[in-house]
Amino acid sequence: MYSRWNLARNLRRFYEHGRYAHKFYSQALVGINQLETPIRPQALYDRQVSCGLHDVSYQAHHNRSFRSVEDPFSLVADELSLIAKNLREQVAEEVQNKAPKLASAAKYFFERAEGKKFRPTVLLLMASALNMPIPQSTAEEVFDTLSEGLRARQQAIAKITEMIHVASLLHDDVLDDADKRRGIESLNLVMGNKLSVLAGDFLLSKACMALADLKNTEVVSLIAKVVENLVTGETMQMTSTSEQRRSMEYYLEKTYCKTASLISNSCKSVAILAGQTAEVAMLAYDYGRNLGLAYQLTDDILDFTGNKDVLGKGVLSDIRHGIVTAPILYAIEEFPQLGEIVDQGFDDPANVDLALEYLGKSRGIERARQLAEEHATRAKEAIEALPDSDDEDVLRSRSALIDLTDRAIRRTK
Amino acid sequence: MYSRWNLARNLRRFYEHGRYVPKFYPQALVGINQLETPIRPQALYDRQVSCGLHDVSYQAHHNRSFRSVEDPFSLVADELSLIAKNLREQVAEEVQNKAPKLASAAKYFFERAEGKKFRPTVLLLMASALNMPIPQSTAEEVFDTLSEGLRARQQAIAKITEMIHVASLLHDDVLDDADKRRGIESLNLVMGNKLSVLAGDFLLSKACMALADLKNTEVVSLIAKVVENLVTGETMQMTSTSEQRRSMEYYLEKTYCKTASLISNSCKSVAILAGQTAEVAMLAYDYGRNLGLAYQLTDDILDFTGNKDVLGKGVLSDIRHGIVTAPILYAIEEFPQLGEIVDQGFDDPANVDLALEYLGKSRGIERARQLAEEHATRAKEAIEALPDSDDEDVLRSRSALIDLTDRAIRRTK
Repeated sequence: MYSRWNLARNLRRFYEHGRYAHKFYSQALVGINQLETPIRPQALYDRQVSCGLHDVSYQAHHNRSFRSVEDPFSLVADELSLIAKNLREQVAEEVQNKAPKLASAAKYFFERAEGKKFRPTVLLLMASALNMPIPQSTAEEVFDTLSEGLRARQQAIAKITEMIHVASLLHDDVLDDADKRRGIESLNLVMGNKLSVLAGDFLLSKACMALADLKNTEVVSLIAKVVENLVTGETMQMTSTSEQRRSMEYYLEKTYCKTASLISNSCKSVAILAGQTAEVAMLAYDYGRNLGLAYQLTDDILDFTGNKDVLGKGVLSDIRHGIVTAPILYAIEEFPQLGEIVDQGFDDPANVDLALEYLGKSRGIERARQLAEEHATRAKEAIEALPDSDDEDVLRSRSALIDLTDRAIRRTK
Repeated sequence: MYSRWNLARNLRRFYEHGRYVPKFYPQALVGINQLETPIRPQALYDRQVSCGLHDVSYQAHHNRSFRSVEDPFSLVADELSLIAKNLREQVAEEVQNKAPKLASAAKYFFERAEGKKFRPTVLLLMASALNMPIPQSTAEEVFDTLSEGLRARQQAIAKITEMIHVASLLHDDVLDDADKRRGIESLNLVMGNKLSVLAGDFLLSKACMALADLKNTEVVSLIAKVVENLVTGETMQMTSTSEQRRSMEYYLEKTYCKTASLISNSCKSVAILAGQTAEVAMLAYDYGRNLGLAYQLTDDILDFTGNKDVLGKGVLSDIRHGIVTAPILYAIEEFPQLGEIVDQGFDDPANVDLALEYLGKSRGIERARQLAEEHATRAKEAIEALPDSDDEDVLRSRSALIDLTDRAIRRTK
């Protein structure tokens, strides 16, 4: 696992040469120099990638004022290391000789941005949290023998989830001809496109194979649905009409598709593999869904406020890309004029400033925060509704999952 | 279904504005004007897309000298129409409101250029050919009730196969920067690279969900393997070293991955769904595999010879794209100097002419033809080895499958 200093260095490089580097406006760079070295501004990461929780864990280790029980990440850190190593090997085998470029493209995100193991952490914790004898189970010895195979299968879900997530990042990076004209070196663009498509396809096919090996068609359905949702979500974002861009319902649906579907359906899959009842599986699903939504809403807020909780000091990446999120949508309800500015778009930086003004006058940030808290609470309730257990590991994992919901919404980066 | 005249008209347009036009050399155009209207040069179609069989069927209807029993396509044409309509609806549902562009992107080929439905035809014929009581089956009435559900499931394999095939076409067109596909503008040209990639992913996810619905984990594994093979095949083609490009073994493996894997494993799936024994399932697999290879090898030859069976009168698309196929590989065995020319590549048209010269002096075309015939024979043998049946439909379908192997290798376009 990368040491945190390594990670900081890599992320600085990512930031400088990264995907959005050419799209950053100079205003975004203001304040970057003021950041202390180890802090990694959340918005450096791809919007879709949950990263801040790693930062939060790091914060917790540095004695910031944080209500933290045992660090939820540490509970599964070793297991995750092994899985990550295993995943890299799995991805590279077969292809390394045939097509080394493909192997490195596919491994790109696994090797260079390891810090974001949020989803696998949640899934392993959920697996532990559900590690209880199922009704009408057979003799305990059989249960023990089965449980090792079960854990491996649940780890497979974690791997499959990561492969699909990275595949979607690679495919989302594919640019269209219009982007060619914005000063990007065209050969690199072409090769980048092709390698992105191929590497994404490669990961998807590996995920399909791993999925088939689980020999559980319900899980195959769920994960296939996730892929459909990811694609739908990205398309919703790419192709929305002005009316849709101003709709909270559209935004929430898009957010579910892009962010929450993966974690919710993989949590549910973990439960299904464990042979849990439909009710327990739904609780696992609810936890994942609400956690995902709470996380994304907080992301949206931080994009405006940054780590100092001051409006306008965030990276403002969303709004500059014309992506309309919850705080703005709430603000439009109070100030219809903001709606017209949104329709005009944000190529003109003056519109960004205007939007921030309206946002500041409105209760937009506050209401978005409330919504995030509502979802965090529902996630907690899902865990609390799980069938009782005396097992220490089970209880510890459930505490960790509850802890994660707090960290999701209380982080400042 | 397109009327044949419509198809001819579209293909004329395709030919005039088609993908390969810029790369035609004057020599290749000689003789083009002599072609009678309804003939559609086979090589106009993408190499991967099996098309010539429809042309052959068309020829058969126009009293060309062809050993043809009943037209194999007509046996299942009505069923295919229904399936095609059903497929279009299936693809669009749910997404139509959320992301209409994604829905139309996914349906693009299903609605505008249905293609040659070669694979679904083979699969439905195979389903009929295997429609015999399985050993230890229950009472006949039960068999009849089950058989309707069975046919629906086998039709699902046909749909899944088409979805996966079209998904791979969409991605390949992005990889190839293609302008044309199936006689119409490629989707990436019309709607952009990213939407093409997303639409391909979408179709893949729909295919996976339909696959899961069959609730047969062996079939899920087989089709997942197909997806992996398609990606591997494309990777092998895009990233081969010079040594690999000159290897017949590499070429055959790549050809299996890109072309034969889909048809062979879906034939096998049809057999598995029918509850056939492992031996029968392997025969179905063998048929598909050998048919696919025979078809592709014939494709390779036609790319050189065209419909007048004269060397150098084909479209020469493969060699101009630097794709080295069986005839050339055989020729290199006789003329090592040709191997060096292959290494140099074919950007220089003089190399193309040189290669044609060597090819002409060698037995390359002849040996490739022999190999195709070997595979066609093996495909026939697989059908003849199926368990006996008295049922007329079964026998008719088996004849049709055998007929298809002849058409695969004897077509001239």
